[in-house]
Amino acid sequence: MASRFFGAGSSSSEVESSSDEEEQVQKAPGRTFQFSDEEEDTKRIVRSAKDKRFDELETIIKQLRNHKKIKDMSKILESFDELTRAMKKANNVVEKEGMPRFYVRCLVELETFINECWADKDGRKSMSKNNSKSLSTMRQKVRKYNKDFEKDITTYMESPDADVPDEVEGSESEESADEASFSKDVTAKASDFQKAEAEESSDDDFWGSSDESSSSSSTDDEAYGENLAAKFLKKTGPGTEKREKRKREKKELKVRPEEEEVENDGQGEWTVVTPGAGMVRERPKMFTKDQEITVEAVNKKLHEILAARGKKGTDRSEQIELLTELMKISTAHNLGNGMLVKILFSLIMSVYDYNPTVSLCMKPEMWQKLLDLVQDLLQILEGNPAIVINEKVMEELENLESTTEEFRVRGCVLSMIERLDEEFTKMLQACDAHSTEYIDRLKDEKMVCCIIEKLYRYLESRVTSADLCRVYMLRINHMYYKFDYTTIARPADEKAAEKPLEKEAVEKPLEKPLEKEVMEKPLEKEAEEKPPEKEAEAEGSSGEETKITEDTQQVEVVVDPSVLMDELCKYIYAKDITDRIRTRAILCHIYHHALHNRWFEARDLMMMSHLQDTIQHSDIPIQILYNRTMVQLGLCAFRHASIQDAHNCLLDIQSGGRAKELLAQGLLMQRQQERRPEQEKLEKQRQMPFHMHINLELLECVYLVSAMLLEIPYMAAHEFDPRRRMISKSFHHQLKIAERQTLTGPPESMREHVVAASKAMKVGDWQQCTEYILSDKMNVKVWNLFPETDRVREMIRQRIQEESLRTYLFTYSSVYDSLSLVTLAEQFRMERGLVHSVISKMIINEELMASMDEPSQSVVMHRTEPSRLQSLALQLSEKISILVENNEKLLEIKQGILPGTQRRDGGYQQRGYGGDKWADGGQRNYQGGNRRGGHQQSGGYRNRNQQDGGGGGGGGGGYQRRNQDGGQGYGRRN
Amino acid sequence: MASGRGSRRTTESEATVQYVQLDGLVVLNIIKHCEEVGSELSQGVLLGLLIGNCLEITNCFPFPRNALDDPDFDEMQYQMEMMRHLRYVNIDHLHVGWYQSTFFGGFVSKALMDSQFQYQHSLDESVVLIYDPLKTTQGYLSVKAYRLTPQTMAIYETMDFSPENIKQTKMAFSKIFDEVPVVIKNSHLVNALCLEIEEIGPPTEKYSFLDLATSSVLEKNIKLLMDTVDELSQDSNKFHNHYRQVAKQNQAKQQYVQKRHQENAARTAKGEVALPEEDINKLFKPLLPPSRLDNLLLSGTNCFYLACFLAWL
Repeated sequence: MASRFFGAGSSSSEVESSSDEEEQVQKAPGRTFQFSDEEEDTKRIVRSAKDKRFDELETIIKQLRNHKKIKDMSKILESFDELTRAMKKANNVVEKEGMPRFYVRCLVELETFINECWADKDGRKSMSKNNSKSLSTMRQKVRKYNKDFEKDITTYMESPDADVPDEVEGSESEESADEASFSKDVTAKASDFQKAEAEESSDDDFWGSSDESSSSSSTDDEAYGENLAAKFLKKTGPGTEKREKRKREKKELKVRPEEEEVENDGQGEWTVVTPGAGMVRERPKMFTKDQEITVEAVNKKLHEILAARGKKGTDRSEQIELLTELMKISTAHNLGNGMLVKILFSLIMSVYDYNPTVSLCMKPEMWQKLLDLVQDLLQILEGNPAIVINEKVMEELENLESTTEEFRVRGCVLSMIERLDEEFTKMLQACDAHSTEYIDRLKDEKMVCCIIEKLYRYLESRVTSADLCRVYMLRINHMYYKFDYTTIARPADEKAAEKPLEKEAVEKPLEKPLEKEVMEKPLEKEAEEKPPEKEAEAEGSSGEETKITEDTQQVEVVVDPSVLMDELCKYIYAKDITDRIRTRAILCHIYHHALHNRWFEARDLMMMSHLQDTIQHSDIPIQILYNRTMVQLGLCAFRHASIQDAHNCLLDIQSGGRAKELLAQGLLMQRQQERRPEQEKLEKQRQMPFHMHINLELLECVYLVSAMLLEIPYMAAHEFDPRRRMISKSFHHQLKIAERQTLTGPPESMREHVVAASKAMKVGDWQQCTEYILSDKMNVKVWNLFPETDRVREMIRQRIQEESLRTYLFTYSSVYDSLSLVTLAEQFRMERGLVHSVISKMIINEELMASMDEPSQSVVMHRTEPSRLQSLALQLSEKISILVENNEKLLEIKQGILPGTQRRDGGYQQRGYGGDKWADGGQRNYQGGNRRGGHQQSGGYRNRNQQDGGGGGGGGGGYQRRNQDGGQGYGRRN
Repeated sequence: MASGRGSRRTTESEATVQYVQLDGLVVLNIIKHCEEVGSELSQGVLLGLLIGNCLEITNCFPFPRNALDDPDFDEMQYQMEMMRHLRYVNIDHLHVGWYQSTFFGGFVSKALMDSQFQYQHSLDESVVLIYDPLKTTQGYLSVKAYRLTPQTMAIYETMDFSPENIKQTKMAFSKIFDEVPVVIKNSHLVNALCLEIEEIGPPTEKYSFLDLATSSVLEKNIKLLMDTVDELSQDSNKFHNHYRQVAKQNQAKQQYVQKRHQENAARTAKGEVALPEEDINKLFKPLLPPSRLDNLLLSGTNCFYLACFLAWL
């Protein structure tokens, strides 16, 4: 059937090729067939592409020439644009064939033409506006454009074609001949096909539907056309080969709709095609059937496939399929690990390439595939230490075949895995953190960690320390934020086995299903995401996990993550040459320390690194990490009862109300200005995956509680100090909000709890305060998120007691003459020694004017501090003196003294006057009477005030009255 | 009665109201009203009669509390209706003023001035009773009657609070209000009861400074005082700045005039036509002096705070 058709066709290459094209056209729907076809069609297609392009160019040139004749400038401009566009398209061809002479000639002609037109001033004037405009743009464009072709043009100028029109004609005629023959072919072939169709009586679907895609693949093929052609030439007996293949393809086409049909038209090698055997089916198209599959051939094929990479029309999924197929082939033919690794590499790269844009994440299937591939690759590499992979290996020096020497493959496993890591983060960023999908993805973290682990083991002895630092960094990135529950369990172990309950309680959250955790407690869940070996150890039930255990157990059965972290980071500190990795490592190290309650280590490292000074110069991801570290450090400090440190650490993050943004845990709504889309994209890329988030409520609560513990006693101590500064603005803000409410119900939210507790603390009611802070609601919301909840709670209780005692003393010390330590200890449920120490501290710091009376176990107040009323009166007097000064200034003006100019004289004048006036008022203090005296007088006033105690207020009043008298006096005088 | 009403139009304003005679009923009514309202501002209408130079206040009724919230509420109509009802039950229905509660004497405000001006403008004998519920809770009844002084009335009529005007009219914060002495008159029966209660009850504190509660009141008072002093000094600062600007402008003006003079002299010397003397006020627009009303009010408030304060000592 088909053989007859070929037999007829083979007489002229023209016919054959065109019929081939037709073949291809028909097969276009089944994309996988493309390559095999190209193998045959290459030669012809290249030519036709070239012709096509050149033809296109020439038609445009012809048009251009016509336009030139009638001097239609706008049309010329249009054609020129068209021409340049066509030229760009034809770039491929041009690169291969060299600059077409007719094109250069056209350019030269055009330029001279335009220059002539430009020189003809009269002509230019008579032109229509449109035309003259076009002419000037044209002139610029051509000049610019021709610069690119300067070389060609000069060579052309050296030997301009005399027979210009002839050549064009010639090529045209050639072209038309081509066309003619082609159309002839088409008709001939069409009839052939009809015949074939009738004979085959197969489905018509293939034949009818595919016209539109006939030209689609031609450009892609051109690039490696020659390569293919060369390869094709090598083959023996192309004719028969081809025929057979053709037949096979036809078969397949038929098979496709009715897949399981048994082929029985006599060709022995074809048996049953099962749906699962797709690869087998495709295989023949990779290599011809009896072509010897060698490393060289496969390598060539690989190049072929890769050449299409990144091209516009390339179907990326098809690329992956092809590579997979190629890999199958090479394994089937046992081409050696070198080849396999190389193909795997390309395959992984093309999987990375699958997504058109960088910002998009992979599809889950792709990701799965990627994981498998990478694992395969690593397994091979591990199994064959003889394979050398290095990006420094040149392609030419690659050694894929020989078994005697070591394999050399070009590539970089490290970058590949770094990319894998990035992709993983991207995937996590892309999916909804509260969906099961996220958890599914997160489960892959184990794999990723595992891969990195393997990579590390593989590279450990192979690469430079700089590269190893990168590997370490990868490991650290996956480790630093994971809480190791064994650190809590361990001390419990050491203490005794008698507290199994407690230990169980500690380990409980560890075994909770992930799903629940993710929804509510990112921190705890974070902690749960331990390095894979731990998890595997803990559960180790499913098949996959056991596998991992096996893998990991080889190297480190039980390694304390902290020790490991330490090792990794120290290596980086020692060996790293890029500052960036070291900074990251330090921050991660601090984070890890802080997370595991090693406050002093964390703090010292932070201090020693001096990162606080330089962090604003580093890039944004590091700054984010820095913020995260500071937060973690703050939380750690809080757990260690270093309230001041905790507050300082958290202040920067919390003060702007932008914690979410600073920690990259979500985009903040911006009210004022819209974010630019690219900026938003960038910010989205920086976001932390959900499982690494730090609980913001916990953060805020810790901040507010530490602010409360600092601020409330401070406020009590400096109640009337006009120079009092706020320690925490946001805490005050919360207080203010609460004050503004008309009706305060029982606290609901975390903030309300803290505010209510602050109010209780203000009056020294520590019990109420603790009740609020450590209520059930707060436990659930906040405190349970800490690993050692009970310890933290106990710490908070103690701190509240202490600070309440201090507040109580500040607030009410004026009421007491003496206070019994015993009573105080009872009142605040504190040990007497502790009360003693707190009070002593206050006395030493001169916060409390009192002394200890040891025999009676009591505090004796000195009462040197003014009472509340007195201090208020003091404040009032200060304000009034300001007012007096203002009024004096006004008086100066009234007396015609310009402010600032003759101040000195005025001052003296004023002084005398004021002195008299005040003296009239009968106030001793004013008799000194100069301006300075006026200031000092407040001091004198203060003394007097303190002397007559309760009468202070009255003194203030008297002062005020004086002032009024003075005011009146001034008025009268004028 | 008719003669009394007629006479008050003719008599001199100073002499109009020599003292206010309050009925016990009115006092109790006001106290009750303020008690009900709580810490909010309470206001109401006083009813009574002017007899000679004594203003008898025999009854009162409060303004409804939610009057401000309700846009449909017509205060005038409500008052008229109230008075009509009262007339039916044969109670004095003549409007003689209004009352308002206050805390620590901080009642001097623009609003109070406005409404008292309106009252006094239409009914010459109107007074405003200021009642301090806080003091009452401490055991001291504080009801004071005030009237705007003729000076205040005059200034208020023009609404000119420029410094010059105030200087001219010799206005001062101490001359905003006239305090009218208040006499509380009870029926003999009530007097007898009071005497009896006095005998039964514990002896009253003679020395208020021993009272522990005073300190918190004083504190509060001082705080309020501080606030007004602050505001006052801000105000005087503003005033100062204004003067400075005026001075600057004057300087600029002078310079300009001088320059123009010189120029003209030069021109005439050259024989050219002198430049016209332009209206200098167009070039330098006179600065508006700030209103002194705030100052007056604040000083007044201060004054009352102090009075309140001193009452405790």
